[in-house]
Order: sequence, then C-alpha cells, then structure tokens
Amino acid sequence: MPAHDVLIIGAGLAGQRAALAAADAGASVAILSKVHPVRSHSVAAAGGINAAINPDDDWRSHAFDTVKGSDYLGDQDAIEIMCSEAPGEIMHLEHIGVTFHRNDTGHLDLRAFGGASMKRTAYVADITGQAILHVLYEQLMKYSDRVDRYEEWFNTSLLKDDSGRCVGCVARNIRTGEMRTFNAKSTILATGGVGQAFKPTTNGLICTGDGMSLAYRAGARLMDMEMIQYHPTTMTANGFLITEGARGEGAHLLNAAGERFMEKDAPNKMELASRDVVSRAEQREINEGRGTGPLKDSVLLDVTVVPKNRVLEALREIVNLGRDFAGIDITKEPIPVRPGQHYTMGGVKTDVNGETDVPGLYAAGEVACVSVHGGNRLGANSLLDTLIFGKRSGQHAAAVAGEMQMPKVSDAQLRDDTRHIQDIINRPKTGRRISEIKEELGVSMNQYCAVFRDEEGMTKGKEIVTRLQEEAKTAYIDDAGTVFNQDVLGALELGFMLDCSEAIVTAALERKESRGAHSRTDYTERNDEDWLFHLTVSQDGEGADAPAKLDKAPITFTQWEPMERTY
Amino acid sequence: MNFQLEIWRQDSRDQPGRFETKHVQDVDGEASFLEMLDTLNEDLVGKGSRSVAFDSDCREGICGMCSLVINGMPHGPNQVTTCQTYMRDFEDGSTIYVEPFRNNAFPVVRDLAVDRSAFDRIIESGGYVSVTTGPQPDPNSQPVTPEVHQTVMDAAICIGCGACVAACPNGAAMLFTGAKITHLNNLPQGQPERDERARNMVHQMDEEGFGGCTNFGECSRVCPQEIGIDVIGMLNREYRRASRTKKPSHPKKMVAQ
Ligand SMILES: Cc1cc2nc3c(=O)[nH]c(=O)nc-3n(C[C@H](O)[C@H](O)[C@H](O)COP(=O)(O)OP(=O)(O)OC[C@H]3O[C@@H](n4cnc5c(N)ncnc54)[C@H](O)[C@@H]3O)c2cc1C
Ligand code: FES
Repeated sequence: MPAHDVLIIGAGLAGQRAALAAADAGASVAILSKVHPVRSHSVAAAGGINAAINPDDDWRSHAFDTVKGSDYLGDQDAIEIMCSEAPGEIMHLEHIGVTFHRNDTGHLDLRAFGGASMKRTAYVADITGQAILHVLYEQLMKYSDRVDRYEEWFNTSLLKDDSGRCVGCVARNIRTGEMRTFNAKSTILATGGVGQAFKPTTNGLICTGDGMSLAYRAGARLMDMEMIQYHPTTMTANGFLITEGARGEGAHLLNAAGERFMEKDAPNKMELASRDVVSRAEQREINEGRGTGPLKDSVLLDVTVVPKNRVLEALREIVNLGRDFAGIDITKEPIPVRPGQHYTMGGVKTDVNGETDVPGLYAAGEVACVSVHGGNRLGANSLLDTLIFGKRSGQHAAAVAGEMQMPKVSDAQLRDDTRHIQDIINRPKTGRRISEIKEELGVSMNQYCAVFRDEEGMTKGKEIVTRLQEEAKTAYIDDAGTVFNQDVLGALELGFMLDCSEAIVTAALERKESRGAHSRTDYTERNDEDWLFHLTVSQDGEGADAPAKLDKAPITFTQWEPMERTY
Repeated sequence: MNFQLEIWRQDSRDQPGRFETKHVQDVDGEASFLEMLDTLNEDLVGKGSRSVAFDSDCREGICGMCSLVINGMPHGPNQVTTCQTYMRDFEDGSTIYVEPFRNNAFPVVRDLAVDRSAFDRIIESGGYVSVTTGPQPDPNSQPVTPEVHQTVMDAAICIGCGACVAACPNGAAMLFTGAKITHLNNLPQGQPERDERARNMVHQMDEEGFGGCTNFGECSRVCPQEIGIDVIGMLNREYRRASRTKKPSHPKKMVAQ
C-alpha cells in the first residue's frame, strides 16, 4: 500500500503548488489525478493572475477590490493573506520560468481586469493557465525523488480512522481498473469546481465536483454553495469563454440597438465592472428584448475597437476561437456572447491554512471555500487563490505530518468501493442512461440556478435534483471492462455532481436576498441586517442518503465595513 | 451528412488491434469531430456494445488531451487540435479512418487513447529551472527584450499533445523537446543549467525510443500551436554547444504510475 506524508488529490494549479510546497518542506508526497496533470482544467485559464506589483499599487487596494467584489461575503483575513502574498508568488513563478508578458522596455506588463481599481493582472498572452501549469509541472519533475505521481488514478472515497481523522483515500487506476488504498498523514483535496453540473459551462468535462462531494460525504461542511459565477462573455455559438482580457484591452458590449448598455449599470467602470454586475446587465438586456441574434439571446462583444496589432499580440487564442468555432474574425466584426456558467465560489469550508472540518483533510483551489471570493469572484483572482492556498495547505500539511506517525488504515473502504463499482456494472439495463440524467441536470441547473433566480424556479430545480438522485441509483452503463472504463467513472461523477447540485439549490433557496452572484427576482436587495453571514451545507447523518443540513457561519471582518456597491 | 468510419479498436495495450466499421447518419456539419464520436458512443451504448475510448477534456484546443489520427493526419485535415475539427471539413458520404497517435514511444492504452508519459520523462530529465534557494531577484531587474520574449512565447505555447511525434516519419520528438529548450534556454532564469538541460533532454529522447530528425518538417505542419521548425535548429545548436562542454549526467529516473 502506498504511504506518504502528504497525499494530494488533484494536479491542477492548486494541487501542483501544494505538492511543491510540501516537497520543499521535506515531506514525501503523492499526487493523484484523474487526468494527466497538464490536462487539468487550470490549463484553460486565459486572462491572467492578479497581484499588486505595480509600484503605484498596494496590496490593500487589491484586497479592498476583492472584498467589494465579493459583495462583503468574503472573509477579510483570508483576502488580506491572499493579496499580500500575491506579489511574492508572481516573482516566484517568473523565477521558475513563466513568461509573463513584458512591455517594450522588457519590463513586466499588467492588464486591466473587471472590478479592479487599477491594472494589476499579470498575464501570458491569453494562455496564462497553460503557461503556469506547464512550468509547475516541470518543477514537479525536479522533485521526482520526493513526489510520486499517480496519473490517471480516480479517487473514489476518502478514508477515516476511528478517531475521525482523514488517513488517505481509495482510488481506481483508470488504465487497468485496479483499486488501491492510499495511506497518508495529511490529505489535500485540489479537485477543482463543479461546472459540469450546468449546461452549457465554460468548464471542461472533468470538472464534476468530485472533491466537494467526497468531503461532504466525509462530514465536512460546504460553504457559499449558492454563489455560482456566470461569466459575461461566453460565445453563444458553443459556450466557450472569451477572456475578460478582451474587455480589459478595451472591447465594448453592445445590445441590438448598438448601445453600450453598461452605461446604465456602471457609468465609471463600464464593461469592467464586477462579473455579477455585467452578467446581470446582459441578461436584463436579453430578457427585455434588446438581445441580438436569431433568438435574441445574445449581446455583442465588439473587439474591433481594440487596435488590431494589440489583439493579435495579447488575445491570439480568442482570435483562433472566433475563427475556428464561430467562423468570425473578431478583429473585423463583433461576436455574439451571453452569460455562461463559469465558476463555483463555494466549496469545502477551510481556514487560511486549508484545513477543513475533518482533521487531516485539507482543501485548496476551486474545490475549497476559504472564502476569498464570497458572493462574486474577481477575474484573475482564482489562479491566485489556487497558488496561495495551495502553497499554504502544502506547507501546513507537511509540518503536521512531520510530527506524527503513519496512521493505520483498514481495507474495508476498498472492498466497499470495489463492490459499489461492480454493482454499477451489474445493473440491469432498465433504468435511464447516465448521459441522459447528466443532460437533464445540466439544463435544469442552468435554468433554475442561473443569473436571476426565484423561489418558484429553485423549488422546481430542487425537485428535479431529488428525482435525478433517485434515478441515478439505477442508471446503467454498458462497459463491463477494467481497462480505461470511462463509463464507470461517468457514473461515479454523476453521483458527485448530484451531491453538489443538492447543496447549491438548498443554499440558494435559503438565502432570501440578492448578494453577489445570487440575484433573486423575489428578493431584489442585499439585506445586511438578516443575511450578513455564510451559509453552510453538511450531511445530516451518515450514508449516501443523508439529507442536507443548513447552518450559518460568521464572516470575518478586519478593516472594511459593508458599503453600497457601485462601479 | 453520413459517413463510414473505420475506427481502430484495441482492448488493451497487449492485445492486437483491428479496424471496425461504423456508420454514422444525419451528422450535423457544425458538430465537432468529438461530438460526432460522442453520438456514436451513445448509439453503441444504447445497442449494448462497448463505447470507443478516446481522450479529451477542454474541447477548446488548449489542454492537449485529444489525440486522433484522422485520415492519416494527426488531429485531422486542418492545423488545429482534434477537438477543433468539424464535420463540415469532410466530404459527405466519405469514409473516414480514425486511429490513435502511433509511435513506439506512445503505447496504446485502449482504442484511440495512448500513453504519452515518454514526454514527461523528457521533461524530468532536465526541462525545468532548478534555482530555488536564496532571495529572488525582481523580474524587472532582468529585462527581457520583446524579441526574446516573442521567441520564448512562440515555444512556450506548446500544449504537449504529441501530434509532432505522430506526424514524423521517424517518430522524432524534436519539435516538443526543441520547444522546451527554446523556452527555457533563452530566459535569464534558464541560464545556469543551459548545457546540462540540452544534453540530458536529448539523451532521454533517445532512451524513450523516439527517432531522429531528418528534416521532413511534418511536425511543424501539423502542430496546432504552429510552433516553428526553428526550435529544432535551436535544439541542435544548444546540444552541440553543450557537447563541447561536458559528458551527460543522468538524474535518477522516477516512474509515473
Ligand atoms: C475557460 C476558463 C478560463 C479561466 N480563466 C481564468 C483566469 O484568467 N484567471 C483566473 O484567475 N482564473 C481563471 N479561471 C478559473 C481557474 O482556471 C480555475 O478556477 C482554477 O484553475 C482551478 O484550479 P484547481 O487547481 O483548483 O483545479 P483544476 O485545475 O480543475 O484541477 C483539478 C484536478 O483535480 C483532479 N481530479 C478531479 N477529480 C478527481 C478525482 N475524483 N480523482 C482524481 N483526481 C481528480 C483533476 O484531474 C485535476 O488534476 C478560468 C476558468 C475557466 C474554465
Ligand atoms: S480536448 Fe483539450 S485540446 Fe482538444
């Protein structure tokens, strides 16, 4: 049985950063990922990463923008840590070979991003995530004597000992079907978000909320789950993301009448207001009949106002996207866009060292909720979140591991999981198909838990999720093989997504106000008197069928009192 | 649109493979190649047969996971990733051959999915910057000129998909390795291990069983990131320079499991 000081599940930016920090601290590390590390979804991050590195900037200003962007739901102690450690982290990345954009004089260049009071987004053209992920992976190679990589291993459950401590996990080797128990002193979840519970989404096929669900089943609280980010510029043609960098470079948003409608909502910041604000404005234009396109379901993103050479230099990936996927030359004509599901602000509740409610279990990155994003994440703050809290989790987990013996694990869970998979394979072909249920889930979540929400819709959404949870129990698959059986994984992922969806609708129904991305047409105002706290969701009791339980958790305030939010 | 597909099926690495004929009907020209395969899989599952295994994740051309040889061309007829290939690019009624990326160094895992960990071992042999101790200089104290920055960026853009290897008649990994070397060896941070890096990476490339470059240029012509053949020139220069200095030293190898 593999045994390590620190076991990391997930090899995106958060997982790899955690692995490097733990290895740096001298720990033996295992990093396990269901896809090859450089295919992790972090690779898709386009626009950049925030840090107050400009001499005229100050991390406090970055922190305030983040607090305001979160609609005062973010925890200010965590935000202060993230923003003050940001410049050092950028230096570190630059140092290990990330080619951040340089200006004509050879110095670091920064671009404007939504909700930020000045230019503070460092970027690598519009392939920032890919550039950082590949360089971190190179670093991981450097530590190959201390870091064991388990690539294409799928985590099926977390292990706890009698004292309730997390002591590792069970995983399935995707290539061979072998099931194995992994023993560890500390376990870090870095499995990313749950975008696939929505359709369409900008998230890749692997973003199925596995870690959130695993932690939930292990007894941890999920927090801020009602806060789902809709990104303002996803291509109507196919849901792909057009980076906020496009607006950062000066692109306009227009309605059918050619008006820059953001004038009404954010006279100062215009297109660069916070994402929740821009998405709401677009959705309003569309709902009120001022949308464009055959279905009037879009607004136009006009990149033609940005100088062409700048577009080709700094936005080259989206030029290709427009050309390949929509047949549009974005340097010549505007491209139809609309809000699309993009990010889960909520996740497994952690403290500033990544520790969750379950001893020995950490979470970092999109799977976690520290909470630095609160009700709405600012663009380019997520990559920062993954790195800062990935690093801190890795360090903390390694330090704790240094002071303890390897805990004991039993094989009981391994047997349970093996049996569960065999049960899935043996199901009679009478129920629904996995893909059908997934499709219905995605469409329903996108209908009832989108930019605008209300009691009636969300109640319907919740009913659907509950029904799908039942149907998933008999959903069948066809592949009975062991080698590369993607169907089995699909069935397990569906279960994870349903857990997360349940938490999302439960929390969203509960919060009777509008805050950040959670915008209700039946409670249109923010209500600090009654709702200035986090909502958490946990399992009430053991077992897969345990109902969801809601609780409150306080928000940490340090220096900024809630104020009205204008852009 | 209707197509006849000749798809490579192989149950596992050690079993022999074969082409299987499948027919797909009423395909939307705007569907991507992978969406077409998704529909086929739905169909197969509905009929109680095993779906076709293939790799994909982001489906927007950035993660480097998708990897099919379509009608003999890695990633298909256009110079984009497989996930960016559309059915409208094929003639209605035609037969389409779908195979995995083929190379001795990339064994088939199942059907169309291959194991590309040989690339990882090339990186492991030296494709990183190893300076980690001491205070970190402000990047602005080491300006990078726009020209160098551009050269580096044009190489760092590699997504590690392996199409270059699949396209090369010799199965060489020179474009991939050249891109890594061009990225790291041009940067100020990459200078200390410049020679060692070139020596070790080239050595590892040979160990993995990749072939040598004889200048066909196919790699660059199929590269979805349009990485230029000049990175191979850079690799050769760096290797020659390094060979003049010292003998290779091989760091301990570690296995990805
Ligand atoms: C299109 C797009 C563009 C974006 N652009 C930006 C941007 O410009 N700036 C910014 O700050 N943020 C951006 N974001 C958000 C940001 O990219 C993500 O929030 C962040 O990368 C998440 O990183 P992560 O490490 O938490 O998770 P991921 O990168 O998603 O990694 C998850 C890892 O967990 C593994 N995993 C998951 N489940 C299992 C399991 N059951 N068993 C084993 N392994 C598992 C996966 O294999 C993977 O390695 C963007 C997001 C998208 C979708
Ligand atoms: S699936 Fe990511 S590049 Fe094709």
